Amino acid sequence: MMKSITLIILLFIGLFSGAQNTEKKKDSVVALEEVQLMTIIKKKIETDMKMAVSVDEFLASSDNISFIKRGAYAWEPLLNNMSSERSTITIDGMHVFGACTDKMDPITSYVESNNLAEIDIKSGQEGNMHGATVAGSIDLKRKSTPFNRLKEWTGAYQTGFEFNNKQFFNLANTSYSSDKFVADGSLAYRKAENYSDGNDDKVDHSQFTKFNASLGLAYKTTELSSVKIEAIYDEAKDVGYPALPMDLWLSRALITSATYKQLFEEGLVRAWDSKVYFNAIEHYMDDTTRPENLVHMDMPGWSTTYGLLSNINLKRGKFNSEIQLNAYNNLSTAEMRMYPQDRSQRTMFAYSWPAVTTTFAGLSLNNSWAFSDQSQLNFGGSLGLNYNHSKYVEFNWIFHPGTPQEKTRLLPSLHAGYQLNIDNFNFSVGGGYGHRAPSVSEGYGYYIYNSFDRYDYVGNPDLKNEISYEGNASAGYANDKLSIQANVNYFYIENYIIGRILSLGSPMNYQSVGVKSYTSLDYSTLFNFSLNGSYSILDNLHWKGTLTYARGKDENENNLPFIRPLSYQTALHYKYNRFNFQTSINGDLEQINYSPEYGEDQTPSYTVWNLSADYTFRIAAYKTVVQVGAENILNEYYSTYADWGNIPRMGRNIFTSLKFNF
Amino acid sequence: MKNINFFVAVMFIAVTSCTLDKTDYEAEISTEVTEHFEYETVVSIAENNYQIDIEALNGTLYKGYNDIRLTITNTQTDENLNASDVTFLPIVTDYTGNNSSCPHQYNVDYNTTDAYYSTYAVFTSESNDSDTWKLYISFTDNGQTYSLNQDITVETQTNMNLNMTAFTADDGEQYFIALVAPQKPKIAENELVAGIYKYNPPSNEAGTFPDPSQYSYAVVSDYTLLLDPRMPEPSMGNHSSPNNVDLTQQDDGLYYGVVNYTMTGNWTLNFRMQNQYGEIIKGTEVSTEFTPGIEGARSELHIDILF
Repeated sequence: MMKSITLIILLFIGLFSGAQNTEKKKDSVVALEEVQLMTIIKKKIETDMKMAVSVDEFLASSDNISFIKRGAYAWEPLLNNMSSERSTITIDGMHVFGACTDKMDPITSYVESNNLAEIDIKSGQEGNMHGATVAGSIDLKRKSTPFNRLKEWTGAYQTGFEFNNKQFFNLANTSYSSDKFVADGSLAYRKAENYSDGNDDKVDHSQFTKFNASLGLAYKTTELSSVKIEAIYDEAKDVGYPALPMDLWLSRALITSATYKQLFEEGLVRAWDSKVYFNAIEHYMDDTTRPENLVHMDMPGWSTTYGLLSNINLKRGKFNSEIQLNAYNNLSTAEMRMYPQDRSQRTMFAYSWPAVTTTFAGLSLNNSWAFSDQSQLNFGGSLGLNYNHSKYVEFNWIFHPGTPQEKTRLLPSLHAGYQLNIDNFNFSVGGGYGHRAPSVSEGYGYYIYNSFDRYDYVGNPDLKNEISYEGNASAGYANDKLSIQANVNYFYIENYIIGRILSLGSPMNYQSVGVKSYTSLDYSTLFNFSLNGSYSILDNLHWKGTLTYARGKDENENNLPFIRPLSYQTALHYKYNRFNFQTSINGDLEQINYSPEYGEDQTPSYTVWNLSADYTFRIAAYKTVVQVGAENILNEYYSTYADWGNIPRMGRNIFTSLKFNF
Repeated sequence: MKNINFFVAVMFIAVTSCTLDKTDYEAEISTEVTEHFEYETVVSIAENNYQIDIEALNGTLYKGYNDIRLTITNTQTDENLNASDVTFLPIVTDYTGNNSSCPHQYNVDYNTTDAYYSTYAVFTSESNDSDTWKLYISFTDNGQTYSLNQDITVETQTNMNLNMTAFTADDGEQYFIALVAPQKPKIAENELVAGIYKYNPPSNEAGTFPDPSQYSYAVVSDYTLLLDPRMPEPSMGNHSSPNNVDLTQQDDGLYYGVVNYTMTGNWTLNFRMQNQYGEIIKGTEVSTEFTPGIEGARSELHIDILF
């Protein structure tokens, strides 16, 4: 029986991989011009300071990303100071949804830095390509080696140790390329113990172990077409969340896709890229490691997504257009299983996500028209259909009697922007309008405990679409030595979804103080500003600096939570022969505009000083880099505005890393 | 290529087979409670030329509320009586020989649509070595009255959702509250149905046994039963639910309200009984504080349920 099942699955996969797709890049003739609409594409997955970074650390080096941190692992990325349900986070355009009701598993936690090539961040409605959004999009782009006439193996191996939390990591990736066939593979393993804060006190429950493997195989079917199959497997075990009353026992993700890509040498259509995908995530929490819990609660969650995306790239003269069809179906289920003091029998049960299906289908269109040498117009739109179904709707009826089991929403989006380059100056101005549907938790969540404000959250299926009106502008100047760039954006968001205290509820979770229901504010506003500068003091001495400021207010002029106070970063880079030296200082000022209504307290200012040095040399034919550095050299004790439960950040951390390229 | 297929297949199997099984929700909520829908014969009595069938849910009489149907058949004509004056009186005798009764409907109505005589009894104890229950029934046909009695067995009600309570209220009267529905609650809004009865103390000397005036009970009218459901387990910290509706009397004499159960487990229905003048005559208000680790305090008037 088991054998025949295995056989069927093997057959199925054989079929699947036979019908599979993708990969282009530097392929024979056409080098595709990507339509880049004011995109911030982060190349090279390493920061200036550190060459062996986690995905989180890498994202943190972007201006418009900040993080909610619940520990040392799996930080929740905030784009434009908005929580993750307001942005679309995708892997190569694939939608993946975390299986944890407490957002302990943002999508970024299921990839590893050595299987990513770049992260594509788009702000606001320009990020509508992969689906409806308010804040923008974060697309994690996987590594994919181009076809190559020469048969070639390349690879890298990186190992290192971080002293503060005794993190030992091994990252390996390899790729094989030939004229017809390309393979990419990566393996990563990280294991860390509890870290210490700036007072040299251990932060209990901050350990983690993560294993990640990925494989991509591409086959060139004709000169202009290829198929590709890809898979990522990620497993995290024994992950501590010091800010939460529970830890992660196990989470696993399998993310698979099959892509077919067709390029065209002439004509209007230049590239056609289609992908089918499947991913499954399981996430099991464990609170038995916490002796303070008198009651134990298992909160397992599952999320399964099937999807399709098809993208056509059109080009005529100076007009470039991208059309994308997105469709996916997600099933999210999460349970609460409570045990009384006597664990032998489980007596209490409820769904925190009552088997909620989300089906989305949408068409996006983005155009860029470079109508003169100096000017370019970018404009686009999308229209999506979002359908939700709650299987056990009786859970939703407790707080919202008689609410329908199904809900269909139409999600339009429009944006336009104008870019002007005159000599060394550049300017841009743009605007956008878009809707988003409430997330599964916002719509259908049931007693989801939020340890930040210590409230149980209940979803509301009847929430209206969140409607965003945004404006953005930028101005910059760049010459050989100096560059300076200012970006500003403003969001006016109607029906802004946020948790409000519900007088009639009584909490269910042990640590909780009350019940909040997701409700729509009439509106709220968000303002983001960033200023970047760089200056080459000498040929081998460079300076870089960043300043960001944000402000968020609700309809009553009260502050919104998780808005980053004025923050700064300044860095110097010095190169001497084969040595590189970097130093940076970053910090936030005191959080003046905090939000007590949403559980925030005032966070004091902090400053962190980092230093690192690396040396490049050759062992035999292999380029080798060795790096030593220290983060938070002064061992400052601090936590940031977005640290869940004011958990202190890591104190002084000396890191070492060694990388071989072959 | 084969190796790769195999690799992918292994990973596929590894992940699609869940590490922990999902809870079978339907099984989860049905284990505790058996629901009864069928009226079956409890006992059949032959009396002269008549046969009296007594029916109840599951063919069993339980402690608590019992809806009871009687059919009386003339065995000679094989016709069911439909214009008879039927009386119904349950009597319990304890080991000292004392007789008492329980809330019941003495003068039985005829249900013309479904052709049976309809009554109820709220048995206040199970049959056991000391307590024995007997039904005293009389009916008329062709101007003649027939009386009979029958031993019955009252079983323990295992479904806590049909529990009952008996108490003396502040007005000195003896009251009974019995849960009638739901038999099988859901994690959802449930229509909560209860009967409220009181004992009418006799005002005259006892006549010939069984003298119904000595065993008189009445449905309480125009009261309100204020409801506050909570989970008493210490780990639940006095958890409650929203949108509950107090019980008020409807045309059938029973009291109807709404209880929301937010999860499976032990629940306590905390009541306060308010008379027609708006006075609370039994029950205490319970704390609404969230008190993790402490067993929730119950109202002095409450019924525990489990599902």
